Amino acid sequence: MKKLTSTVGTLLTAALLTVGVASAASLGLSTGRLSAGSTAVPGCTASALTATRNVDNSGNVTQVNVTGVPQACAGETLAATLESNAHASLGAASTTVGACTGGCTVTLTGFGTVAASTVMSLAFSVAQ
Amino acid sequence: MRRLRPTPLRIAAGIVVCSASCTSIAYAASLGLGTNKLFAWSQTLTKGTCNQTYTTLDDTYVQQSSKTSTAGGTATTLSVTNGNSKQDIAFLRFDLSGCGIPTSGGADSATLAITVTTGTSHTVSVFPVYSSWSSGTLNWNGVSSLTIGSTATATFSGTAGTKTIPVTADVDAEVKAGAFWGWELTDTAGGPRATTQIASAENATVANRPTLTFSYER
Repeated sequence: MKKLTSTVGTLLTAALLTVGVASAASLGLSTGRLSAGSTAVPGCTASALTATRNVDNSGNVTQVNVTGVPQACAGETLAATLESNAHASLGAASTTVGACTGGCTVTLTGFGTVAASTVMSLAFSVAQ
Repeated sequence: MRRLRPTPLRIAAGIVVCSASCTSIAYAASLGLGTNKLFAWSQTLTKGTCNQTYTTLDDTYVQQSSKTSTAGGTATTLSVTNGNSKQDIAFLRFDLSGCGIPTSGGADSATLAITVTTGTSHTVSVFPVYSSWSSGTLNWNGVSSLTIGSTATATFSGTAGTKTIPVTADVDAEVKAGAFWGWELTDTAGGPRATTQIASAENATVANRPTLTFSYER
């Protein structure tokens, strides 16, 4: 009986560990990549994009325009964060990349009241 | 149904399983996998100032009563007048090309300062100009060929004194367009004719000449 208990315990442990590792692998953790999304959405990747922002007459950011978003990213979510000198978030917005041909241009609005003069960097990400 | 007793072996197995599972979850969370990011990047901005004075200023006014006159280009004051058939309209612009800002840059803030030397009770409206003009050639007849914004950027009281006018959105658009065509100043008030006089780039009092306080990013 004692032997049976030990065997069952060992099998159970092994089975659960296997499930855990398999789950992690499906998320791309074994390669250290951000995700397996690059496989799920081929072509939706870029080393750098070009972004500009518009302001109102008071100098507050009204919108951010991102150009050169790969066509393959259509349907994914593009998020932008306006950052201070210390990389603290001053405002953020996101939108779904629309269908387009060639490089997509994406416009994001709704950052709240953020003075352009305080924005020292822009951070972006594309996610599913 | 047999009741499972907590033997040392079962306790050890539970600890191992829990540790492995919890570690995996924490690792995934630290990589932001919950949102399944495809890629990310950032863009650092460079800030600067490029204040403008009369040295980069071009200004004039045109006269409805003298439709081919370009005399406003060398006048010491810019005339802004209402009135049927006798309206005067002023134009001014700063050449920001010397700031070296690419069209991917923009204005963080921009404030136009002008001095009204002879005031009125009228309101003067400031409209953005989107096409080329020069004080040496612009006259009343030439205004109709200009592209001028339909919405006033700002208004100011025509009373005497210095006026500071926020023009950030206009200058931001100019930077992105790579063209700097400035503003039209008009008085569309009804009633008795009145003339607001604004110190120009040629005004004898340098401190009264228009300036543009300008901060940018690129």
